Amino acid sequence: MASERTIELTVNGTAHEKTVPVRRSLADFLREELHLTGTHLGCEHGVCGACTVSMNGRSVRSCLTLAVQADGAEIVTIEGLRAEDGTLHPIQQAFHENFALQCGYCTPGFLITAIEFLEENPNPTEPEVREALSGNLCRCTGYQAIVDAVMSMAGKPPAAKD
Amino acid sequence: MTDTRFANQKAVGSSVLPDEALPLVEGEGRFLNDIRLPGMYHVAFLRSQHAHARILSIDTAKARALPGVVKVLTGEELLGKVDPFHSMPNRFSGGESTQHWLAVEKVRFCGEAVCAVVAEDRATAEDGVDLIEVDYAPLPAVTDPRQGEKDGAPLVHDTCHNNYLIKRDYERGPVEEAFEKADLVVKRKFRIGRKQALCLEGRGCVAAYRESTFALTMWMSHQLPYVVRHYLAKHLRLSETDVRVIAPHTGGGFGQKASIYPEEFVCGHLALGLRRPVKWVEDRLENMVASTHARDQYIELSAAVDADGRILALSSDVWVDIGAYSTYLWSAGMEPLQTAGLMPGPYRIEALRYVTRGVATNKTPVGPYRAVGRPSASASLELLIDEAARKLKLDPVEMRRRNLIPSEMMPYRNANNLVHDNVNYLPCLKLSTTKVDYEELRREQREAIANGKLRGIGISCYAELTGLGTSTAVGPGTLLQPGRDAVTLRLETTGVLTIAAALPSQGQRIMTAMMQVAADELGMKLSDITCLSNDTAMAPYGFGTFASRTAVFGSGAVIKAARELRRRILGLAAHLLDTSVDNLTIVDGAVETLDRAKHMQLSEMAEQSYFHAKHIPEELNQGFEVTSFYDPKFGSFAGGVHIVVVDVDPDTGHVEIVRYVAAEDVGNMINPTVVRGQIIGGIAQGIGEALMEELVYDDNGQPRTVTLADYTIPSALEIPTIELHHANTPSGALGGFKGCGEGSIIGAVGAVACAVADALSHKGGDIHEFPATPERVLTGLGVLPGGT
Repeated sequence: MASERTIELTVNGTAHEKTVPVRRSLADFLREELHLTGTHLGCEHGVCGACTVSMNGRSVRSCLTLAVQADGAEIVTIEGLRAEDGTLHPIQQAFHENFALQCGYCTPGFLITAIEFLEENPNPTEPEVREALSGNLCRCTGYQAIVDAVMSMAGKPPAAKD
Repeated sequence: MTDTRFANQKAVGSSVLPDEALPLVEGEGRFLNDIRLPGMYHVAFLRSQHAHARILSIDTAKARALPGVVKVLTGEELLGKVDPFHSMPNRFSGGESTQHWLAVEKVRFCGEAVCAVVAEDRATAEDGVDLIEVDYAPLPAVTDPRQGEKDGAPLVHDTCHNNYLIKRDYERGPVEEAFEKADLVVKRKFRIGRKQALCLEGRGCVAAYRESTFALTMWMSHQLPYVVRHYLAKHLRLSETDVRVIAPHTGGGFGQKASIYPEEFVCGHLALGLRRPVKWVEDRLENMVASTHARDQYIELSAAVDADGRILALSSDVWVDIGAYSTYLWSAGMEPLQTAGLMPGPYRIEALRYVTRGVATNKTPVGPYRAVGRPSASASLELLIDEAARKLKLDPVEMRRRNLIPSEMMPYRNANNLVHDNVNYLPCLKLSTTKVDYEELRREQREAIANGKLRGIGISCYAELTGLGTSTAVGPGTLLQPGRDAVTLRLETTGVLTIAAALPSQGQRIMTAMMQVAADELGMKLSDITCLSNDTAMAPYGFGTFASRTAVFGSGAVIKAARELRRRILGLAAHLLDTSVDNLTIVDGAVETLDRAKHMQLSEMAEQSYFHAKHIPEELNQGFEVTSFYDPKFGSFAGGVHIVVVDVDPDTGHVEIVRYVAAEDVGNMINPTVVRGQIIGGIAQGIGEALMEELVYDDNGQPRTVTLADYTIPSALEIPTIELHHANTPSGALGGFKGCGEGSIIGAVGAVACAVADALSHKGGDIHEFPATPERVLTGLGVLPGGT
């Protein structure tokens, strides 16, 4: 079996063609090859959710996804959330205004998870928010401020797409 | 942040948005693993798979032959070149012990580093680790402290008899007499499991050779940069001036990143030897076995109580399963000494006796973690108070009310020799019971129980000594006794104020807090203040962030320095504006006369001071840079009362938190929303400690919980909405501040434990072992066999 393969993918709107070791995770690929270090590794076995990125519109654990599995995919990471003029994505703004992060290590995964969730359920109840976020671990905040941030988005129109 | 404001508008006390969080929201934080330097090598460690074994031989030939591997380092090779960690001898230590950075002759816990492999990339370094062959002769493992202290038990260190790394007997006040004359003596056993901080980011470092003028520059995910600098220099046999330590964005600390560990020091040695940068980043498996654990205690507690419910004396026996080594720099004393010594908490205790032991076992060392020792001390005492109240037919709240130290008795010296002052224990009790509507809560509970539900209510009152100055020890017998910290303020020519301090943040928004304090002292806008807090090359001397001290020390030092800087600014302004100092004030970054007729921007004043000094009398131009040390002398007690309602499912043993109310005294608040985050975050960790989190070892010392699938921490589903209230009273420290980073975890463990026990008591059950996992709850209900 070949130890390397060439993949083509789009990350935060930019097309890339790269030859990668087949054993390299998507997280390591994003961090090491594309220098997108905003995606963090917390457990490397798919539990904590810190490494969550969007792949073809669905959130995935980039630590459990191989880079070669992202061949042909469209990936969005935390670095791709801001508008072109630098304006924060509304969910980023909501996290900031609600003090929804402390150390900030888990934040990228929460943002990506919350965006996908709010697209599916733009007007959630608090229990629904807690359920939706339960696959992402935060050790600092006790979740309350994160839940508040996501709830503050409830009923608001979804963010303008790029 | 806010822009223009009125002169009487204060930044302190206002929940200003912390701009320091913006890079983290935007994915532009710079954590340790995000740093890469040209020519950087990567390090991976071979770790022991045995709990206790003699090393017969290590064969590194295959690893060294692997393409891409640069070096393989063993413990033998380090001998004589660096100084290993020796436990600090003190009056309580059981015996001296030595921790080599890489194991020599023996391994003492699963996960102990044995070899380091340096390679071109991390994957190759890990491949190299797999090729090292170590021949071990297994030895019997010590896995239970109460077995380990017995005569004839296998020894973890030959130098420590009965495996005591620490042992202390203490007695003060008429203990024996109190137990003799008591109307009631209650006794209880308490067990809390082993847990860990579980920072989302593990430890790690980048060690670089000859960056700038420093022989060694160390980027390290750590809470105490200057302390690391001191010990790196000492153990690598360098001058402190050869070493620079920078703490980048840090993904959680909670005490786990406050100790000195071997791996980073090995990396420092490797960088110096290879004359190349090296990087090591802990993976989760390593973090579960090689970063310090916490708690793991057995407590036997008894109280002498009179007929009115007054506690006359406390007596405890504490065993802490301390693991294989005396955690460097804090010693093995952290949990044992603080658990037993701080047992009285906020209660008025006139007689106290304890025997406490830190027993070496073949497990990962136990080190400092949020609120060291006190959660188990508090929970065991709160459970005992509930038992006494039940026997005396007193309401648990009333029993607590009769024993809390009342404000009018303060300053009050407790039997553990700590002085309680400026702290609102009884007001917190009153506030929490009012807010929760305690009478109604009990009525609802009776109704729920009548309907077949297992509902419990837990009340916990806690005290936390924060911001310890030079007159109060952080822990008796520890090497480090920090009581002072410094801040440098510099007014730049742009009129911007730089605050420099060695007080790194792991998310506590420390920079924002210091900026808020400086803004008020100097009449400046927050947007004109910046802060550096993580670099020994830029900051004045300081000890770092731990022990709920940073807001107290950082703010105090800012206040002192700002007052001197203000004096210098006004002195120069009086000269330049041809008026008197008394006629001047600073508002929104400008000095102005009280009648507002004359004014001058701080930027202009700074330009005059730096660039046009020849026109200014020297005695009026002492420089707009001031360093001040602050020592609060005594610590300040913070406190709180937590009330928790739980429903226990008698079929599954599942505990659900129905309601959570906390009333806290955290002194004057700098940024209330930041404070709220600290308190609720601590409560969440306490709920995890009380209900879920436990590191499990088998009888051979093999860890059974090495992934986040085995070691579960609370998610958003397990943490309820916390109703938080304040009954604050200012501390005696500058600004009236207290620490609030740790305390709430104490209240949480006790309140949740009491709520579960209360629920079980309605079916004749009880619980002595925590976390209260479903299995233990069912055991407590007699559904499963066992029990304590």
